[in-house]
Amino acid sequence: MIRENIDTLIVGGGPAGLAAAVELWKKGMRSILIVERERQLGGILRQCIHDGFGLSRFGESLSGPEYAQKFIDEVTALGIPYLTDAAVMNITGSRLVTIATPGGIREYQAKSVVLTMGCRERTQGALAIPGERPTGVFTAGVAQAYINLYNRMPAREVIILGSGDIGMIMARRLTLEGAHVHAVFEVQPYPSGLPRNIEQCLNDYHIPLYLSHTVTKIHGSSRLEGVTVSAVDAHMKPIPGTEQYYPCDTLILSVGLIPENELSLDAGVTLDPRTHGAIVDENYMTSVPGIFAAGNVLHVHDLVDFVSMEAERLADHVAEYVREGSLPPCTLDVHYDTDINHVIPQKVSGANPFRLSMRVSHVMKNAAIEVRQNGNLIAKKAVKKALPAEMIQFDVPADNLQTSGDLEVTAVQR
Amino acid sequence: MKREFTCIVCPNGCEIEADYEIKNGTPVISNIQGNTCKRGEEYVRQELISPKRTIASSILVEGGELPLVSVRITKPIPREKIPEAVQEIRQYRVTAPVRAGAVICHDFLGFDTDLITTKNVPAAHK
Amino acid sequence: MQKLYDVIIIGGGVVGSAIARELSRYRLKIAVLEKNLDVCFETSGRNTGVCHGGFAYDPGTLKAKLCVEGNRMMGALAQELDFPFKRTGKVLVGNTDEEYEQLGRVMRQGAVNGATGLSMIGEEELHRLVPSVQAKFAMLSRNSGILDPFLMTIALAENAHKNGVEYHFDSEVTGIRRSGNENVWEITTAHGDTYAARWAVNAAGLGCGKISDMLGIRGYKIIGSKDDYIILDQRLGALVPMPIYTVPSNTYMGIHVTITTDGNVLLGPTAEDTDNLSYYGTEQKNLDYLYQEAMKIWPHVKKSDYIRTYSGILPKWVDDNGKIQDFKIEIRDDLAPNAVNLVGIESPGLTASVAIARYVIDMMKEREHFAENVDFDGTRKGITRFALLTPQEQDALIQKNPDYGELVCRCEKVTKAEILQAIHNPLGAHTMVSVKYRTRCMMGRCQGGYCQMRISSMLEKELGIRPTEITYERAGSHPFFGVVRSEAESRREAQ
Repeated sequence: MIRENIDTLIVGGGPAGLAAAVELWKKGMRSILIVERERQLGGILRQCIHDGFGLSRFGESLSGPEYAQKFIDEVTALGIPYLTDAAVMNITGSRLVTIATPGGIREYQAKSVVLTMGCRERTQGALAIPGERPTGVFTAGVAQAYINLYNRMPAREVIILGSGDIGMIMARRLTLEGAHVHAVFEVQPYPSGLPRNIEQCLNDYHIPLYLSHTVTKIHGSSRLEGVTVSAVDAHMKPIPGTEQYYPCDTLILSVGLIPENELSLDAGVTLDPRTHGAIVDENYMTSVPGIFAAGNVLHVHDLVDFVSMEAERLADHVAEYVREGSLPPCTLDVHYDTDINHVIPQKVSGANPFRLSMRVSHVMKNAAIEVRQNGNLIAKKAVKKALPAEMIQFDVPADNLQTSGDLEVTAVQR
Repeated sequence: MKREFTCIVCPNGCEIEADYEIKNGTPVISNIQGNTCKRGEEYVRQELISPKRTIASSILVEGGELPLVSVRITKPIPREKIPEAVQEIRQYRVTAPVRAGAVICHDFLGFDTDLITTKNVPAAHK
Repeated sequence: MQKLYDVIIIGGGVVGSAIARELSRYRLKIAVLEKNLDVCFETSGRNTGVCHGGFAYDPGTLKAKLCVEGNRMMGALAQELDFPFKRTGKVLVGNTDEEYEQLGRVMRQGAVNGATGLSMIGEEELHRLVPSVQAKFAMLSRNSGILDPFLMTIALAENAHKNGVEYHFDSEVTGIRRSGNENVWEITTAHGDTYAARWAVNAAGLGCGKISDMLGIRGYKIIGSKDDYIILDQRLGALVPMPIYTVPSNTYMGIHVTITTDGNVLLGPTAEDTDNLSYYGTEQKNLDYLYQEAMKIWPHVKKSDYIRTYSGILPKWVDDNGKIQDFKIEIRDDLAPNAVNLVGIESPGLTASVAIARYVIDMMKEREHFAENVDFDGTRKGITRFALLTPQEQDALIQKNPDYGELVCRCEKVTKAEILQAIHNPLGAHTMVSVKYRTRCMMGRCQGGYCQMRISSMLEKELGIRPTEITYERAGSHPFFGVVRSEAESRREAQ
């Protein structure tokens, strides 16, 4: 069994982990290691073969694998150490990290740990859709992996539940591979994916999107035979009498992503019930000193560009933590009202500028996001159309911040 | 005439409203609002003439660590040609190892666009 | 001429497999005919996985007697056969005077049945044992426990197989006839195969009524009792150190909050009569009911902790008035000589399975002398669970076999080495669910979101089968229609 000390161990070699590693290296950190459970670096981007990635980070439209490759090439060129086929088994609160590899178990005592494990998809089981349990019900990401990585065709006659971006992208992908996508149903009164995907993945292929509808029963004992779809009321409860049966052999679920925080919980990291990710301060440090988080493991992003950029910002703070052994305390809470679904960070110092990331909880036109402290307006961002599907980010300057007094974020109609 | 568009150029997805007339077979935009950048106006003009789209897909790899390599075209092509493009792409194969950016077909379907790979696929371990 | 078996057992559930294993102690040629593609795809795998104490059944019944016997032998059996079993104890909780009296009756009944370790406990003791529960008092059954119903059935079947029993899957029995002059049973399956045997055993579970009719023992009325369940995240397991039951009525055991041997919390069951013995769909109203009822005794249910829902069906033998009857275990020399007929083997069949098997064999031995199988080996080793080992033990395993160092299922931390052993299981069961039940892959919170592709690929590769031949669970449950890009179609070399 191998035992080593290390400054920074990065859990996950996807877009967040790779970006964090490159940035840490550029800051002179050399005792770092990326740990990736798959054979290749790149994370989920390896199966996201559509384009549209990189417009913010690189100023060009790339496919997922190309976007990842840019970071992988940099990691390779810089000689940043990484382990693939290496699964982190456990992280303790004192940052002892246990890893299983085909060469044996390795243990690292890390000064800092960067959590970049990404997220997983919500499943049929988590939704508790009534009915039978045939094969033919796949999350969008599973169908995507089968088609784009494994060369397996899992669908012919398709219904999609949920208007998440991956679901819509799979609607187009499946159509182009000869499947027949009948419709997309979304339980909420608004789409959960980006408008551009509704346009180019659904409208272009004449695939109807029905809002305020959900699947209320699954039929089929072996392979899926059909689903019952119902309209839902304002509380998202199915309305009796609206049931409609759709014959299909495949149900694709794109019903939300959940940050993958099992290792974080093992380490004692406190999670935010809204984001399902860690509660972090302006330094992206979690409730456990020396453990940091960025990317989809922290909160689900809609664009990978913002994942990488968040991880790059995190690197500054990790470097400072390793250098200094601690970071200035962040004791002020960031509160928000019910128009807002969540905010990152949840804790700040009041001494430093920070990037605020948030989502509204419902569609708001001509809104302004305001940050206040002790009655003073600290920062304000005008948003023409605020959608729950779109993360809003802006910088909060330190100029007017005070080191006492919690912050309050509100969304106001202009 | 008035039409609404959702711009697909970038993730902002601007909702654009355009007033236009068709003069001598080409659309002339008299008023446009909602776009936050110049590319939005270009997008609308192109949508009015002939919508263009890019396409990503996969082709078979022989002897690779993965069975497929992802591909895309480098410039958009007319939207109505997408099904034809997919049928064309299906017929290609490459032999591992293959690197991202390799050109599978120049001047794909005569549209002045290249079909390129977007992933590295190393040769399979023997 | 087909070969002649000494015993054909119809049904490879926990009871059929227990009978097979116990019969393999004798020099007999035995085969099990199972209509599904693996063992425990019906009632044996779709239940709560509780090892019952034996107090809930009317004194003098086989249910009471065999449950108590089965409970007593479970510890030794689990060690011999290497399946997960924990004698956790169990509480039946209540709040009202009426419930207190009812629990008193249950306890006295238990004592008559021979169940030991029963006591009434007050609120303080209850909260010491199960801090998360909400109730004023309870009956504690110390000898109750939890077991893994999949691995228990698989263990019995594998041990039977090790001692020479054949398992034939996808073999639904469609006809049985007595060949007069040879005194053998001729058994035909849906695929047209026929088997001849001197003894026939009806351990068909939900199909017990049909098989009984085929044997010529007619008139048993079987109804299904369908139970819906909700499975919750493993992280909640720490809050449920032992199964929590409500006070049973005469007809319904009440809702339970139980725990699996892997720490998942189960909410269930709902117990609804049904005529459809093969429909495993859950109902919204049942799921809502389970949530509401569970919250009354265990106020920790969050819908975000749901992992999966499922249902199971218990075969109940009822009289003309619909009253549920005892287990029926009989040899009708007049109607069906040399046939053991097991009817209405519902709960506590899992707990009682080996006791039932021994009871069956005693009946057979009253009619025929069985020579001992001196080569019988009653032990069986399961697939080592990497996730449960210490890092030192894990490292030692990886040094011997690097496949233990490759994690395939991230949630349950199942390695490639374990998956390979499951794919090449001795029974030759080859569905994706067969791998799932043997290793726990795809059973975690991501429900196979990460690993199912890897498992289907490994099945294809290891078994040399085509993508379209991969089967998820039941016959015909194929995940794939084919490939996305085929050799035949993709012929043009890149420029």
